[in-house]
Amino acid sequence: MSAAQDDGKTCVFEAVGLTKEYDEGRGQALRGVDFRIHEGEFVAITGPSGCGKTTLLQMLGALDVPGAGTLNYRGESIADLPAPAVYRAREIGIIFQAFHLLPTFTAIENVQLPMFEADLSMSQRKERAAKLLESVGLEGRRDHFPTKLSGGERQRVAIARSLANSPSVLLADEPTGNLDSENAHFILDLIIRIHREQKMTLVLVTHDMTIAQRASRTIQMKDGRIVSDQQL
Amino acid sequence: MTFFIVVIRGLLRRPVRTGLTLVGISIGIAAVVALVGISRGFEQSWAAGMKARGTDVVVSNMGSALAPKPFAANVRDRIAKLPGIAATCSIFVDMTSVEDSSMMIISAREWGGFSWQNLKLISGRMPTDAEEPAVVLGQTAAEVLKKKLGDTVQLETKELKVVGIIDGGALVENGSLIISLPLFQEISGNEGKINIIDVRATPGSSEDDVKRLCVAINSVVPEARAMVAGEHVGNSQAYRFISAMSWGTSLLAVIVGVLGVMNTMLMTVFERKQEICILLAIGWKRSRIIRMILWESALLGFFGGIGGVLIGVAGVKIMETLPAIHGLLEPDLSVGLMINSVLIALVVGVISGIYPAWRSSRLTPSLAMQG
Ligand SMILES: Nc1ncnc2c1ncn2[C@@H]1O[C@H](COP(=O)(O)OP(=O)(O)O)[C@@H](O)[C@H]1O
Ligand SMILES: [Mg+2]
Repeated sequence: MSAAQDDGKTCVFEAVGLTKEYDEGRGQALRGVDFRIHEGEFVAITGPSGCGKTTLLQMLGALDVPGAGTLNYRGESIADLPAPAVYRAREIGIIFQAFHLLPTFTAIENVQLPMFEADLSMSQRKERAAKLLESVGLEGRRDHFPTKLSGGERQRVAIARSLANSPSVLLADEPTGNLDSENAHFILDLIIRIHREQKMTLVLVTHDMTIAQRASRTIQMKDGRIVSDQQL
Repeated sequence: MTFFIVVIRGLLRRPVRTGLTLVGISIGIAAVVALVGISRGFEQSWAAGMKARGTDVVVSNMGSALAPKPFAANVRDRIAKLPGIAATCSIFVDMTSVEDSSMMIISAREWGGFSWQNLKLISGRMPTDAEEPAVVLGQTAAEVLKKKLGDTVQLETKELKVVGIIDGGALVENGSLIISLPLFQEISGNEGKINIIDVRATPGSSEDDVKRLCVAINSVVPEARAMVAGEHVGNSQAYRFISAMSWGTSLLAVIVGVLGVMNTMLMTVFERKQEICILLAIGWKRSRIIRMILWESALLGFFGGIGGVLIGVAGVKIMETLPAIHGLLEPDLSVGLMINSVLIALVVGVISGIYPAWRSSRLTPSLAMQG
């Protein structure tokens, strides 16, 4: 059995004894985390506020460097990636709680932003962004600036943006946290549909148990540690 | 959407701040264009004046004043004997206020000397002899003094009749009041004194011959210096002062420009901290962030430079029409100067962007997730 294989399933992420300090070691956000996430899984990470969920997602997305322990992506150490930007651009799609669209760009331009790091011509970028907006049902809102969009619409643009370079993993940090329940439902359904249709690995952080129940697996955290890891 | 549009959006997000920064650079570059243009034009119009006077070598003692220092008129006799000289002409040049004009060139020329010969009469006549209480005016000088033929000009205590208006073929000549040397020496109390000797080399002399002639003159005339015509203005302390001042002011304008653009770019980087982190989080390379910031500041410099050239040229054109300066200014607003000014502004922009770009590239993408 190779490092990247478990019962024939490809291991996407593997964490062993992963830690993360903050304030130069005065506090610990992660205190030794172990898990394996396989290709195509939908993993919900839950736990009380401040337990380290966001920190864990940042490690997976190579937004920050891990502390001690190992964290591998398809058998390669994320800490030792030669070009973390390329990893973030090509392998990972990321969705934030606060949408994080850039205010000076229209919907279709926001979707095109990650594509500068791909080998696409200007017209290819535009065409692809238009298709992605269509896939989230926003073809009529292409040229609107974020301030002219509702919260649900903004998150749909952000989802389209996360798919810009066809990543194999989707990371979402409380993606429905800033939405009313109707929009929250819609966004969650959309993310799950994309995960199924494109067979993407989905890691979703939430403290809402009803959302977590829709995942194929729930990892529960507390004080920087995993307290339960349940396959549903 | 192209990367260029991303850069433009960055500049347009705070249009007022961007506009004010552009105005700041523009004013600095306008100062560069105007001052360098004027001081270069000053040098060139004097050189052109020498040429119009038909002079190859100018013997004078350029001190710190605008007009050269007087010396004894008989110095000319020592020079005239040297080989390689076709003719000499003694001159007394003064810059002083005449009636309403605060600064007028008075060019008193040896009666019958060759520097009278290139003056073309537009109207009237030349003075009849060295003693006639008369002047001829360059056409610009006549405009500035608002004189026509038959009017009188007050010089010191004497009233002199304007008998001719001339086209001297160069700005300096046209801006001058031209008078016979003995008459001016008497009026100004400078009997037996001159401050310039124009020397014409024998026809067919090469540049090297003229330079050798200068050396020969300098060995017999310790009280003044002989210089190839045109070079002598650049050697005068007054010109050097003007030139140094214009470059000094330009340097100051450039430094102020760098600080202004850097301030703006630092503000924009701090303000867009989270956006930059988001761009890093969605996969932008640090080098792309650096390029974005550098392009923004380079464009600020470039457009500021273009604005500066426009303001500078307009400013100089307006200055030329002012009565106090009219006729004394022939700015050299060459295309080369304009291109150089825009290039300076562009370099100012790029240099100003380096530190803000470096700051922006040190942000960490994880900040995107907080808050
Ligand atoms: N840069 C930081 N500075 C100070 N404390 C931090 C920093 N990053 C994380 N923490 C702390 O680490 C813990 C985990 O944070 P986080 O991963 O954001 O939790 P969660 O997303 O589960 O709410 C919290 O106690 C938080 O205060
Ligand atoms: Mg969190």
